[in-house]
Amino acid sequence: MPALEAYEPESVAACAELFTRAAERKLRLGVIGGGTALGVGNAPSALDAVVFTRRLERVVEYAPEDQVIVVEAGITLARLQALARQNGQWLGVDAPQASTATLGGLVAVGGFGPRRARYGAIRDLLLGVTLVRADGAVAHGGGKVVKNVAGFDLPKVVAGSLGTLGLIAEVTLRLHPLPELAATFRCVGLDASGVVQAMLALRRAQLEPSSLVALLDSHGRFELGVRLEGFQKGVERDAARLLELPELTGKSPPERLSEALAASYWQRAETPRTACSLRIRINALPTQLPDVQKWLEPLLARLEGGRLVWYATLGIAFVAGDPGDPRPVAAALASARGAAMWAGGSLVVDAAPGAVRAEIDAWGPLPSAFSVMSELKQRFDPERRLNPGRFVGGL
Amino acid sequence: MARFQAIVGAENCIFEADQLVAYECDALPHLRGRPGLVVLPKSRDEVVQVVKLAYASGLPIVPRGSGTGLSGGAMPSDGCLLLGLSRMRRIIDIDLDNQRMRVEPGVVNLDISKRLAPHGYYYAPDPSSAQICSIGGNVAENSGGAHCLKYGFTTHHVLGAELVLADGKVVELGGAVLDAPGYDLRGALVGSEGTLGIVTQVTLRICRLPETTRTLLATFPSTTEAGNAVSLIIASGILPAAIEMMDKIAIDAVRSVMGGAWPEVAAVLLMDVDGTLGEVEHTAERASELCLQAGAIELRRPSSVAEREAMWRGRKSAFTAMGRLSPNYIVQDGVIPRSQIARVLREIARLAEHWGVRVANVFHAGDGNLHPLVLYDAALPEEAERAERCSGDIVRLCVSSGGSITGEHGVGVDKAAYMGEMFSDTDLETMNWLRCSFDPEARFNPGKIFPTPRLCGDRPGHYVAHPTEVSGQIGRG
Repeated sequence: MPALEAYEPESVAACAELFTRAAERKLRLGVIGGGTALGVGNAPSALDAVVFTRRLERVVEYAPEDQVIVVEAGITLARLQALARQNGQWLGVDAPQASTATLGGLVAVGGFGPRRARYGAIRDLLLGVTLVRADGAVAHGGGKVVKNVAGFDLPKVVAGSLGTLGLIAEVTLRLHPLPELAATFRCVGLDASGVVQAMLALRRAQLEPSSLVALLDSHGRFELGVRLEGFQKGVERDAARLLELPELTGKSPPERLSEALAASYWQRAETPRTACSLRIRINALPTQLPDVQKWLEPLLARLEGGRLVWYATLGIAFVAGDPGDPRPVAAALASARGAAMWAGGSLVVDAAPGAVRAEIDAWGPLPSAFSVMSELKQRFDPERRLNPGRFVGGL
Repeated sequence: MARFQAIVGAENCIFEADQLVAYECDALPHLRGRPGLVVLPKSRDEVVQVVKLAYASGLPIVPRGSGTGLSGGAMPSDGCLLLGLSRMRRIIDIDLDNQRMRVEPGVVNLDISKRLAPHGYYYAPDPSSAQICSIGGNVAENSGGAHCLKYGFTTHHVLGAELVLADGKVVELGGAVLDAPGYDLRGALVGSEGTLGIVTQVTLRICRLPETTRTLLATFPSTTEAGNAVSLIIASGILPAAIEMMDKIAIDAVRSVMGGAWPEVAAVLLMDVDGTLGEVEHTAERASELCLQAGAIELRRPSSVAEREAMWRGRKSAFTAMGRLSPNYIVQDGVIPRSQIARVLREIARLAEHWGVRVANVFHAGDGNLHPLVLYDAALPEEAERAERCSGDIVRLCVSSGGSITGEHGVGVDKAAYMGEMFSDTDLETMNWLRCSFDPEARFNPGKIFPTPRLCGDRPGHYVAHPTEVSGQIGRG
């Protein structure tokens, strides 16, 4: 097998040039941003060259008054946040590994963090995209304003497409004002239905947490983290109401965490998305946590250092652990997937050792609209040269 | 004809010329076409059969919801089958705990929030036509409304859809559960203006009502001060649920309908801040201070729900009220970066003077979505043409300011000619790939969005002259 070629284009024009040449030579290409999500999906069936976006690091345009920023794809999330912070703003996407993850990569995987509860995922904040197509042409979709319905919403289709439709070269994002104050509250010892009840109680009380996650502890109970963010006066008043909600009392009443303890809680809540060799996610409905926990029990029992975090208002579980024997782990994955799908959800693999991958597809059965997806891939990349085989159904 | 009648029943098939007239246009009455027939199915199965039959007969299909669109998106092409979805208006289920709701496409936007209100929930996107526009139409247009600055557009609130493709196949895009594996085709569908297929069911995200909402009406000596107030409020970190601006002509029009309840000034901001009580007490007070700092003349806070509703009714009736001031008007929907509002409004005034027409401005100031209304009298010689030109210059001004030709009304037929101002040929070709992936023969809503007819070539990625083009039947460019 010939060595993999590697490229680091420095501009959108250089990417276009590179892709044009690659088209002539029929090279199969993989694009790498920060490399934090290389395990997502199936392994590409074959690659001739990889393209690193790390030198695409220019801020193209930033108009703080408009709360919109245009950046090249190789900029890391941490750098973008630092820049926005200087103007009292931020991107509402708090995906893990901010110092390594790039904006292009986050768009490619459809990234998000716990604050998705308030701000949405990156798809919801992505106003425009510049895509270098498989044929080397440069296409723009969307625009630079928050509100725009001119033409098809190309950014939505590119978000989460895992580099199978083109190279994401530039992105335009909506920013939000930084909240004046953040306060985190922790409730320990809740069982799965207790977490659901707490979520519903917060909603009944018309409190609007920006994040609500539940971390599974070693006793099969959950440690709930609630984050309130906004103007100081509002947060303090809401905090007082929150502390009085009986549904938030598990083993003990909820407590407000110091800044240091809050930081440590949110860091721990990130580990099921970053640690260990096997990582999966389950998408379900927010009230289905008790079922989700049941579906995952056999899997967690077979994982070393197994851990789970649940995004309570979104219905998304992230699980990580190190598999010993791959066979039973793959079987446990398959049965959890079956249960999730039966209930209308899905299970996808974000990272796995080769031995587990060999046993189970990263995505599961073909989606209902697979024929359209396949047509889409065919039109954007008729020779199947971009990350071939990585996406759903081998696209 | 008989075969369509057999599917939906004779009473749901319209083909007499005098009845077809009602379907010749949407809310842009100057754009008209005569459909071959109108079919009004009552269920998904009927839609599937109708689509299959139309496919076999080679009939293009133009979908239509309530016909309130402002871009000619539901304008029939001559001889087409117009598929009206207004009889599919069942609410299928509501899952309050998971904030989900499934509806058929003909359900009226406002009826959803009415149905949810007793439970303390609502559906966020609120186009001004919410009392009559349908969810199916909202999906087609990615409708916004005054409150989308904070809560987002239709695309943020549609989680899934059932779609009937050109060959009658039914597919599910997205669903009640987030992040279904595969390309985000639901994202592609919302805002696709009826060109991808027929939506027969929509899964919506519904929201808990905020604890409280405060409305504020501020008057200003001119739109410049009002624009500055908007900038100050946004810069302070407040994200109002809505922040609307009206200029003198628009205010006068509303006054002619609503009477003395509306002030006689040159500019008005109408604003909602909502959220928890603690938050809103702070933001409402701060927003008031900032209005005064920017030069507000007077601040009005409604003392009752009725008064609040009257304020908003004034804003939402602005378009219709314009009829009192002028026999005809063109509605534009361009978007500009918020920071340029004051400058662009001055430019618009200059353009109006240049073309000798009056332009009223009533718009969503928070997101820079302008709605310049170019007033004219079609009975006067050349006035329509001058209005048209002025309107075109305004669109170009929006694009050159870094904005968009349309923020919420859609491209349809009306703005198709301007797509080239905003997008390159490559951009348009790429968009067309999306369309062709769903509907390779362009059977749905032909002639919309794209400035020139676009075909799905058999060699994707490369331009291939279509046989009809070679033979001179069609042209490009």
